[in-house]
Amino acid sequence: MYEGLSSPNIHTPRNMQEYSTIILHYPESTLWAGGTFIMSRPDAYPSRKPNQEIIYLGEIDELHRFQRNDRFAEFGSMVTLDEIISTGKTVLPKVLMDNIENIGSRLITRRATIGGAIAANELTTSFPGTLIVLDTNVEIKYIKKRRLHSRWIQLTRLLDRSGHIVIPSQGMISRVRIAFSDKNYQNFSSVGSFLTDPEDSVSIAFAATLNQDVLLNPTIALTYPKMGILYSRDIDNVFSSLRFPLDDEEYKSLEMIIFTFIDSSFQGLSNLQRVRTRGILREIIDDLNEKALTMPLQEE
Amino acid sequence: MKIDCTIDGKTLTLSLNSDKPLSLILRENIGIDSINHCNGKVCGLCAVLLDGKAVLSCLVPAFELNGKEVITFEAFQRTRGMKDIEKAYEMTGATPCNSCYASRSMIFESLIAEGVTDRSEILKQLSLVKCRCMTPDDEVNVVLKAIEIRRKRNVRRSQFA
Repeated sequence: MYEGLSSPNIHTPRNMQEYSTIILHYPESTLWAGGTFIMSRPDAYPSRKPNQEIIYLGEIDELHRFQRNDRFAEFGSMVTLDEIISTGKTVLPKVLMDNIENIGSRLITRRATIGGAIAANELTTSFPGTLIVLDTNVEIKYIKKRRLHSRWIQLTRLLDRSGHIVIPSQGMISRVRIAFSDKNYQNFSSVGSFLTDPEDSVSIAFAATLNQDVLLNPTIALTYPKMGILYSRDIDNVFSSLRFPLDDEEYKSLEMIIFTFIDSSFQGLSNLQRVRTRGILREIIDDLNEKALTMPLQEE
Repeated sequence: MKIDCTIDGKTLTLSLNSDKPLSLILRENIGIDSINHCNGKVCGLCAVLLDGKAVLSCLVPAFELNGKEVITFEAFQRTRGMKDIEKAYEMTGATPCNSCYASRSMIFESLIAEGVTDRSEILKQLSLVKCRCMTPDDEVNVVLKAIEIRRKRNVRRSQFA
């Protein structure tokens, strides 16, 4: 059905030079990475847009590269999530590996790319929230004065007020740099499927250094697929001020503070999402309480 | 857009919309009804082998098929590979229901070909198929049994060669 009707033109650049030529000619093109987000939309086919141009990034070798040194790992944006698991299992932060393994079947992670997971219009994976917790930097390639420029930028700076990652117009993520984290407490928890049950899913990524009874440099990102990512330095500061173990009263006041932040950022959180958020927070705090109580005392 | 690809061993040149999902191509252009087209709901019932690896055909656009080889359950069920899986179904006493038989068998084949024996890896790969006709233990047992059957067959073949 629909043969010949509004079939998009496909451009397959083989290097960044070709990409810049194509994007200059067709500035409104759709960038196609793994295609899992675009193809999983119910209205993906047939295309509603007339004269749609698609730039398929899979043939650009530069975007498939992976390199690492002793401080960070750098991935081309077309590296698939499955390749990240196989290349970086021993070196990458636990919270990241837990996140990828949580996304589910290799039938999906084999096709989903790191660049696509960040740049997709809607949150189809919990991946961007985890990358924010890990203080990830991304390289954006963009057109300015008819030339291709590039710039490294912190992922948190691409997060807008509504909790969505906004890439500059005609911009493309070409590389992602993930720092190796030495934080000794990392937790990723997700309930519900971001792909099939976005209304009720929630994920929380948390990383901190637990030193005796206090948390150093805690970062937390809560992701609600239909709403966005909640990341705030204020919440991180609340965690910094805690002394573990927390009793029930302290936990309740922490939960209240976090929900005040959530409600001020996102309206219309479903009841199930609230319950699930509460459950994950409780799990993190219980875990931290246990660790704080069992951690051997440091010698003066 | 003209696409050159091999589907079930036949080399074809198809004139298609460039973003048409493979699941629809197989249903409408090739006439294979065993493939489900869920319109992006990721139901897990449209698995095929693309260059030997299991993929969900609803996530593969036509333009990515150029020069690739697609094997659907229609062709795969006549191979020795499927016989190994059928034997494993029989020996473990766990057989998928009619609605997920094709898709599950294709994912099993991908796991067997890769030699995956890790329980969590097997369950993760099969987690897309929502049908509850098989328990997780059944799925793991079938894969392990089929790997064993295939190894024995390969050893026998090399002894006769």
